[in-house]
Amino acid sequence: MIHDIYSLLRGPMVWLAFCIFAGGMVFRITAMVGLARQKDRVVFDYMNTRYALRSILHWMVPFAGVNMRKHPVMTLVAFVFHLSVLATPLFLCAHILLVKASWNLSWWFLPDGVADVMTACVVAACGFFLCRRMLLPDVRYLTTASDLFLLALVASPFISGFWACHQWPGYPVVMMAHMLSGEILLAAIPFTRLIHMFFFPFTRGYMGSEFGGVRHAKDW
Amino acid sequence: MTKPPAKARPHFADEGIEKGVQKLTGESITPVIRDILKTEGGARLKVYMETCAHCGLCSEACHHYLSNDRDPKYSPAGKVRQTIGEILRKKGAVSPGFIKTACEIAFTECNLCRRCVMYCPFGIDVAYLMLFVRRICHRLGVVPQYIQDTAHSHAATLNQMWVKEDEWIDTLHWQEDEAREEIPGLRIPLEKEGAEIFYSVIGPEPKFRAQLIYQAAVIMHVAGMNWTMPATPGWDNSDMCMYTGDFEMTARLKKAHFETAMRLKTKRIVMGECGHAFRSVHDVGNRFLGWKTEPLPVVHAIQFYYELFRDKKLTVKQKFDQPVTLHDPCNVVRGAGLHELARYIIHETCDRFIEMHPNREHNYCCNAGGGVINCGPPFTKKRVTSNSVKAEQLKAVKAKGANIIIAPCHNCHGGLEDIIKHYDLGMEIKFLGDIIYECIKKT
Amino acid sequence: MPEKIRFMGSLILLMLLAVLLCPAHAQEDIVRVADRVFEAPMRPPVAFHHDAHNEKAGLDDCSICHHTYENGKKQEGSDSVGMECSECHFSKDRNNAVDLINAYHLQCNGCHASRKAGPVMCGECHRRR
Repeated sequence: MIHDIYSLLRGPMVWLAFCIFAGGMVFRITAMVGLARQKDRVVFDYMNTRYALRSILHWMVPFAGVNMRKHPVMTLVAFVFHLSVLATPLFLCAHILLVKASWNLSWWFLPDGVADVMTACVVAACGFFLCRRMLLPDVRYLTTASDLFLLALVASPFISGFWACHQWPGYPVVMMAHMLSGEILLAAIPFTRLIHMFFFPFTRGYMGSEFGGVRHAKDW
Repeated sequence: MTKPPAKARPHFADEGIEKGVQKLTGESITPVIRDILKTEGGARLKVYMETCAHCGLCSEACHHYLSNDRDPKYSPAGKVRQTIGEILRKKGAVSPGFIKTACEIAFTECNLCRRCVMYCPFGIDVAYLMLFVRRICHRLGVVPQYIQDTAHSHAATLNQMWVKEDEWIDTLHWQEDEAREEIPGLRIPLEKEGAEIFYSVIGPEPKFRAQLIYQAAVIMHVAGMNWTMPATPGWDNSDMCMYTGDFEMTARLKKAHFETAMRLKTKRIVMGECGHAFRSVHDVGNRFLGWKTEPLPVVHAIQFYYELFRDKKLTVKQKFDQPVTLHDPCNVVRGAGLHELARYIIHETCDRFIEMHPNREHNYCCNAGGGVINCGPPFTKKRVTSNSVKAEQLKAVKAKGANIIIAPCHNCHGGLEDIIKHYDLGMEIKFLGDIIYECIKKT
Repeated sequence: MPEKIRFMGSLILLMLLAVLLCPAHAQEDIVRVADRVFEAPMRPPVAFHHDAHNEKAGLDDCSICHHTYENGKKQEGSDSVGMECSECHFSKDRNNAVDLINAYHLQCNGCHASRKAGPVMCGECHRRR
C-alpha cells in the first residue's frame, strides 16, 4: 500500500505536476500575449527592452528602490523568502539524487545545513507574511481567504520537507505529505496569484518601458 | 476572516452622481459593464488584477491613505478592491448603490498621479484601473456634475470653459493691448501661418488667468520667438474628457488641437504650465488617435523656458530675492521627467531654492489633479482634508524658510491654494512664468 | 609523576575503546552499508543486516547484488563478492561521488520498488536514530 502511494507520488504525480506547471505557464503567457495582441496593442508599441530591463533590475536588487528602503524588514524578508523558495528545492541534495536516480542528471547542490537554514527562512517568512496580514490594517483589509490559503500552500512543502528531512515522528506519512504538497504547489502556480512569478517581468517591464520611454522618469 | 471595523464613508452629495444613479437599475448596469469588459478589458486589466499579491506596499504611496488616518479604504489596492475588484468578482452584477460609491472613489479619491505605481513591486498601474472604473461610470452616465460640465463644454466648444470663439479672440487682443502698455510693439500673433511655435493654453487661462497669456507673450517677445496662437477652436490643449472616461471625446479634442497646429504649418506646439494637458497631448490623446508619440513635437513650458535660458535668449535682470521651493507636478515629472529642467530655471532666476521632501518623482500629489478639483465644490472639503500630508510637507519647507511655492501646473495651483487656505499656511504660489516675467531683462 | 599516570590512563582508555568498537568490523555478519570512500557522509549510514535481509528477501544468488559487468553486459555466473562497490563505481574515470551514491540507490531502491517490499523513502534507510 505504502509502496503504491509512494511510487504514484514519486512517478506519475511528479510528471503531472511538472506538466501542469509548464503547460499552465505556456498557456497563461500565450493567452496573455494573445489577449494583449487583440485588445492592448499599445503594450507592444511601448515595450522597450532597455527600459524594461532597467526597471526589472532595479526591482530585483534589494534596497535599490525608495519603497524597499522605506520597508527594510519587509524587503529583507521578501528577498530572503523569494531566493530561498526558489533555490532550496532546485539545489537540494536529496532532490538532485532523485533526479540522478531517474535520469542520471545532477548539478551543484546546497550543503544540507544551508538548505536547512533556507527552509527555516521560508517558513519563518510565511509566518512573517501571515503576521503582516493579520496585524497591519491595510494589508488585512486586502487579505482574502485565498491569500491565506496560498501562504499555507507555499509553507506546507517546506514544513513537511524539513520535518521529513529531520525524521521527526510520523516520517513516512510526512514524507508523502511533503511530496504531495510540493506537487500541488507546483501545479497551482499558473492558476493562482502565484502567477506573479511569470507575470512579474511583463508588468514590471511594461511599466519600466512606459516610465523610461514615454515619461522619462524613474519607476523605483 | 473578520475585517477590521469599517468606518462609515462620509457622504458628499453630488447631483451628477445622485441623478445618474437614480436612473440605474441592477438590470441596466450589468450589460453595460459586461460590454466594456468584453470590448475594452484586455490583458492589462486581467494581468494587473491577477498579479496583485495584496501585499499593501502601495498604501504609503498614497496621500489619500496617509491623510485619512491610514484608513485601509484609501490605500491604492484598497480602492481597487472596492471598485474594479468587486466588479470583476461579481461579473458586473453590481447595484446602483455600488456604482455610486465606486464613482466617488474613482473620481474623488484617486488623482491618477501614479505615485503608487512606483511603489508597487510589480508596477501595477492603479491609475489605469481607476480610469477603467471611471470609464464604466461614464458609460453608465454617473459622473460628478462639475467635471461632467467641463466635458460637455469640451464637446460643445472644444474648450473646457465654455469660451466662445469671439471671447477667445477678444481676450487675446485685450492681453495684447495690456502688454503693449509695458512693451510697445509687442504682438500676440494670431493665425500666423508658418510660425515656428504654436502656443496653446488651457481653457481656464483666458477664463480666469488671462495675465498668464500676457506674461507668455512678454516672454515670447523678449526671447524673439516666431510664434502664433490660433483664432479658431483647437487652441485649448486641456482635456477633462480623458479623466471622465469619455475617450472618444479625448480623441476628438486632441485631433482638433494637433490639426490646428498643423493648419498653421507650425513646427512645434509649446504649451503653458499645465500638467494634465501635457499628459493628454503627450501620453494619452495621441494614443487614442493612433499616434505612438505626438504627430508634431510638443514642448511643455518648463522645457521651453529651460531652452530659452540655456540658449541665452532670456537674461535675468535681478534674481527673485525670496526663498522659493518647488512642487513637482505628477504629470510633468512622473509623466515627463522635467524635474531637473525646472530646477535649472529656478537656479537661473532665484536667489535661494529650498527642496521640499519628498521631491522629484516622489513628491506628494496636490490632490487636485486627475480631475479631482474639477469635481467641484461638493468635494472641496474632502479634497483638502484628504491631503493633510501635503500640508505637513509644505509646513516643513516653510519652517526652512521657503514661503513661495513654485508649481508649474494649473491643477497643482488650485489644489495647493485650497490646502494653504484650509491649513492656514500663509504661503504664496507662483508659476515659473510669474518668476521669469518678474526677473528678466525686458528691453 | 601524576602526569605520567594520567597519560597512561588515557592510553589504556583509548585502547579499550578501540577494542570495544572493533567487533563492528570484525563480526561475521555485515550490519551496515559501509564503503571506505565515504569519508564525510552527509546522511547517517544505512543499517543493513546482510544475512537476515537475504533470508527474508529469498536471495540465494550472490550475483544478484554483487554483479559484474563487462562492456555494459551483465556477466552471468560470475560475481564480485569481496569487492567494494566503489572499486568499480568510483573508479578514476567515474570520479563523481554521486555516481557511487546513485549505484547504491538504484541497487537497493530499484529492487525494493519493483518488489514492493522494503524501504523506499530516504529516511527509511538513512535513519537518524
